Amino acid sequence: MPKVVACFKWVVDEAYIRKGAGGALDFSAVDYKISEYDRNALEEAARCRGEGGRVVALAVGGPEAAKGVKDALSRGADAAFLAADPAFADLDPTQTAAVLAEVIRTRIPYDLIVCGEGSGDRYAQQVGPRLAENLGIPCVSYVQKLTVAAEGGRIVAERRVEEGVEVVEAPFPVLVTVLPEINVPRIPGVKDTLLAARKPVAIVKKEELPPMGEAKLETLALAAARMERNCEIFGTTPEDIARFVAALQRQGAIG
Amino acid sequence: MAGIWIIAEKKELAMELLTPGGQLDAAGGGRLTVVVPESEGDPADYIAAGADEVALLGRLSEEMSFSSWLPALAEEIKAADPAAVLLAATFRGRELAARLAARLETGLASNCLTLAAGPDGTLVMERLAYGGAALQRVAVTGRPVMATIPPRTFPPAATVPGREGTVRRLPPPPADSLRVLARKEKERSAQDIAAAKTVVCVGRGLEKREDLELARQLAAVLGGEIGCTRPISEELRWLPENLCIGLSGVQVKPELYLGLGVSGQIQHLTGLRGARLICAVNRDPHAPIFPAADLGIVGDLYEVTPILIAEIKKARGG
Ligand SMILES: Cc1cc2nc3c(=O)[nH]c(=O)nc-3n(C[C@H](O)[C@H](O)[C@H](O)COP(=O)(O)OP(=O)(O)OC[C@H]3O[C@@H](n4cnc5c(N)ncnc54)[C@H](O)[C@@H]3O)c2cc1C
Repeated sequence: MPKVVACFKWVVDEAYIRKGAGGALDFSAVDYKISEYDRNALEEAARCRGEGGRVVALAVGGPEAAKGVKDALSRGADAAFLAADPAFADLDPTQTAAVLAEVIRTRIPYDLIVCGEGSGDRYAQQVGPRLAENLGIPCVSYVQKLTVAAEGGRIVAERRVEEGVEVVEAPFPVLVTVLPEINVPRIPGVKDTLLAARKPVAIVKKEELPPMGEAKLETLALAAARMERNCEIFGTTPEDIARFVAALQRQGAIG
Repeated sequence: MAGIWIIAEKKELAMELLTPGGQLDAAGGGRLTVVVPESEGDPADYIAAGADEVALLGRLSEEMSFSSWLPALAEEIKAADPAAVLLAATFRGRELAARLAARLETGLASNCLTLAAGPDGTLVMERLAYGGAALQRVAVTGRPVMATIPPRTFPPAATVPGREGTVRRLPPPPADSLRVLARKEKERSAQDIAAAKTVVCVGRGLEKREDLELARQLAAVLGGEIGCTRPISEELRWLPENLCIGLSGVQVKPELYLGLGVSGQIQHLTGLRGARLICAVNRDPHAPIFPAADLGIVGDLYEVTPILIAEIKKARGG
């Protein structure tokens, strides 16, 4: 049965980002979460494990990502690895993929690696494919349906392409990135959380890894992308709606 | 800056990328190379639109996937050493770009909305982050500078008859470990919501598939097209995916956008930046779509829509 690695990122919940003075982003009241599509990755990994397989959840991030490890373990993973260091808090996709590859190569046996298609914060959609390249394994991205033929040591994946769907077969070891429609991630219950507390967690420190390369993508500026408009609110009586339609006409939106 | 490469799976995408490619090329005076499958039309069209060289990808066998071009393209790019490589941000393009960037040990700016050379020649790209809540300006520090650009971000490049360029063909690569077992064409809507003047967008506030008819009737009286949120196309599959508006869908720029039962999460709203008038019908007065809208009706869409249709007809009828 397959040995599966599910990668996840502990990200800022964008719903808590405020707009500060002068268009700057205010992160002072933010909360964190497991990036949405990585929840699909964790769920799919748990589903693919079958009987006798094993799922290891893996993240790289700042020390605060330790909270995410608990969450990941309550979503079906058997064990977790966290490469944690303040220096890992804001890596570019090149660096993230390099650290993940290093941890996997040296510490986690695997047949299948599952990543989300992109992260909820930067959504660069690079880490999965880059990780596959760093490990020298095949990559199937944007997968909406996955079947594991463990005896045959291979997967069959339906992946999205512009014209529709391509069904591909690939041998182990292989990496897939998944789309949100692949499954419905579980909502961990009390029992899952209790169980999670007993599962093994290995912390990998920066000093235990070879020196990290330079970032190849530099953020020059990050500003609030403003969407506010002045909304005029109408009620639901026919008179209210007639006024709404009149407003549309005044604005030249309807002929 | 010397040399720009453009890689696209489809002709129209290559023609769009020739617009920023041509601007960068004009600034740097290098060669402009376009890489497209040989099935994508007459190479002379790319040359007329600014390409100096067209590299045609030979036809792959049925069992092979587009990603099998990866090793050959990585070698080609290494040999040519261009300053920048631009790819269309399609599903295949985004994967290929990330894997090429890994092989070339360089940086990649994904899903760029703008791209311009700064005073010192550095390419600066703008992209959305945090679901669309933030605009991120980035620069790539490796070589080549790589970027993926979503379809329709740029207009197709203007063509100049009489331009000259070279054409060569890359032989299909050997098979790799991936095998394509089947291909399924997806249902696509023939409508082009990116170009629509009026868009009626349905969200999860719709209870069942049949109720799309109500939205269609409203779109019909407004002379508009139907669009939807991601859950409608991806989870419920009530409408084809090319009608999904937002960060991972289409950017629309209509005169009028009207959302029915759309909550207005940032990933959706970011697809409406270009809309002139944003209107919403939602029964939750605290729905985030309202602060982003110009006109809103707080109410049940099932109650409001029929009245709205009647009132629009009345207003039209004079
Ligand atoms: C990385 C990423 C990318 C994404 N990309 C996209 C994207 O491109 N496009 C996109 O749309 N989403 C995208 N999403 C998803 C997005 O975050 C939201 O989940 C989605 O837009 C919500 O869709 P909705 O408004 O239809 O549904 P909901 O959020 O469930 O909202 C339904 C709304 O309908 C209202 N309602 C219910 N019943 C009625 C009624 N009878 N009358 C009136 N109102 C009613 C409710 O009050 C509610 O506000 C993305 C998410 C992520 C993480």
